[in-house]
Amino acid sequence: MSSLPTRQTTNDEINSRIASEINSDDDLICPCCKSIMHSRKPNSLNRTWALLITAMILYIPANVLPIMAVSFWGDGQPDTILSGVMQLLKAGLWPLALLIFVASIVIPVLKLIILILLLVSINTKAQWHPKDRTKLYRFTEFVGRWSMVDVFVIAILVTLVQFGNTASVSPDLGALSFAAVVILTMFAANSFDPRLIWDNLPEPELADESEQEDDSVIEMNGDRLVEK
Amino acid sequence: MKETGLPAIAFNRIACHDCDLLQTTPRLAVGEVAYCMRCDAVLFTNQKNSVDRSLAFAITGLLFYIIANMFPFLSLKALGFVQEGTLFSTSLSLFKAGMPLLGILLFLTTILFPLTTLLGTIYILMQVKRDKFNDYTAPVFRFLRSTDTWGMLEIFMLAVIVSLVKLGDYADVVFGISLYAFILLILSLTLMSHSLNPQDVWTRLRNNMADQP
Ligand SMILES: [Zn+2]
Repeated sequence: MSSLPTRQTTNDEINSRIASEINSDDDLICPCCKSIMHSRKPNSLNRTWALLITAMILYIPANVLPIMAVSFWGDGQPDTILSGVMQLLKAGLWPLALLIFVASIVIPVLKLIILILLLVSINTKAQWHPKDRTKLYRFTEFVGRWSMVDVFVIAILVTLVQFGNTASVSPDLGALSFAAVVILTMFAANSFDPRLIWDNLPEPELADESEQEDDSVIEMNGDRLVEK
Repeated sequence: MKETGLPAIAFNRIACHDCDLLQTTPRLAVGEVAYCMRCDAVLFTNQKNSVDRSLAFAITGLLFYIIANMFPFLSLKALGFVQEGTLFSTSLSLFKAGMPLLGILLFLTTILFPLTTLLGTIYILMQVKRDKFNDYTAPVFRFLRSTDTWGMLEIFMLAVIVSLVKLGDYADVVFGISLYAFILLILSLTLMSHSLNPQDVWTRLRNNMADQP
C-alpha cells in the first residue's frame, strides 16, 4: 500500500506512480469492486473495426431484403425500410415518414461514418479538435439505440395485425439484419475508447492545482477507471 | 494478479472517464455538477437526497412495471375480431412468426433489462441506506451501469405511437390500461436515473470497506 500523497506531491509524481503500477505485467484488481483494471479499453481499435465492418456488411441485406410482409386478403406485399418510408409519404404522414427516415436511415449511416472517422483519426494520430471529436463520440453513443424504433414497430404490427387470411403482417429477414446492424454499432460505440483521442495530444497544463483543499472524500467511482 | 494501493491517490483526484485527465476532485454544493475541465464530460453531480429520491422512483417504477405487464397496451378491432398486444405477447409473436432472435431481443430490451434495472437499483440503494454491503454489491451495480442503455422502453413507447398512427386508418385502435402505466413507468425510470449519482454509491461502498478492514 503506497502512502497518502502529501500536499507537495506533484501531478507528475502521481502520474508516474500510477503509470508504474498500471504498466506492470500483473493484472490490477480494483480493491473496491474486484474487477480487472485497464488504463484503456482492451484492444479497443481492433474490436471497434471488427464490429463496424460486420455492421457495414449486414447493412446491405438490411436495406435490400424486406423487413416485413403485409398481406390483405392473401395478397402479400413485402416492404423494405425505404419503401416503408415512401408509403408513409404517399399516405401524407410526413412527420412519421421523417421520423422513420431519420431513425432507420440517417442515424445508422451517420453512426457508421462518425465511428470510422474517429478510428481513422486515431490511426493517423490526428490532433484536430479533440473536444469536438469527443462530442461526436458522445452523440453516437446517445443516439444509436433510437434506431431500434422500426424493429419495435414491426414487432407491434406483427402482434396486432393477425386476422388470419384477411390481414396479417409477418417479419422478414431484413428486420433481423437491421436489428443486428443497430446492435453491432451499439457494441462498436461501446468498445471505442474516447481516451485514445486525447492520447495523441501533448500533456495539458493544469491550472490552480495547489489551491484546492485536498481533504475531500473519495469521489472517484469504480466504473470510471475500470472497464470490463 | 495483485491488489493495488491506488486508492490512496484517489482520495483527492478524479480521472475523466472520457479523456483521462487527472484533476483535483472539486467539492460541490447541492445541485452543482462537476464537468471535466478539458472535454466537458460530466464527472459527477451532487443532488439533494439522491439516494432517497432514486429509491422512491425505483419502487414507484416497479409498481407501474407490474401493471404495464399485466394488461394490453393496445388492442385492434377489425372485422369483428379483437387482437390484443401486451409486452410479453409482442415478444412471443416474433417467436411464433419464426424470428426467435428478434423475439429474444424484444424480451431483453422491453421486459428483462427494465426489470433488472428496477430490482437491482432497489437492491443496491436499500444497502446504501442501511450502510450494509455484501460481496455482490459491486458486481451488481457494475452490471446495472453497463446494461443501462439496453433497457429500451422509451423507444418501444415511440414505436407504439408510430403503430397507432399507421393502424389508425385501417382499424379501431383501443388504448389499454398498460399504455398509461407505461408512460408513468418511463417517467419513473427517467427520474430515477436522473436523480441517481453513481458516485454516491461507490463512495459509500468504499467508505464502508475502509471502516472494516
Ligand atoms: Zn475529460
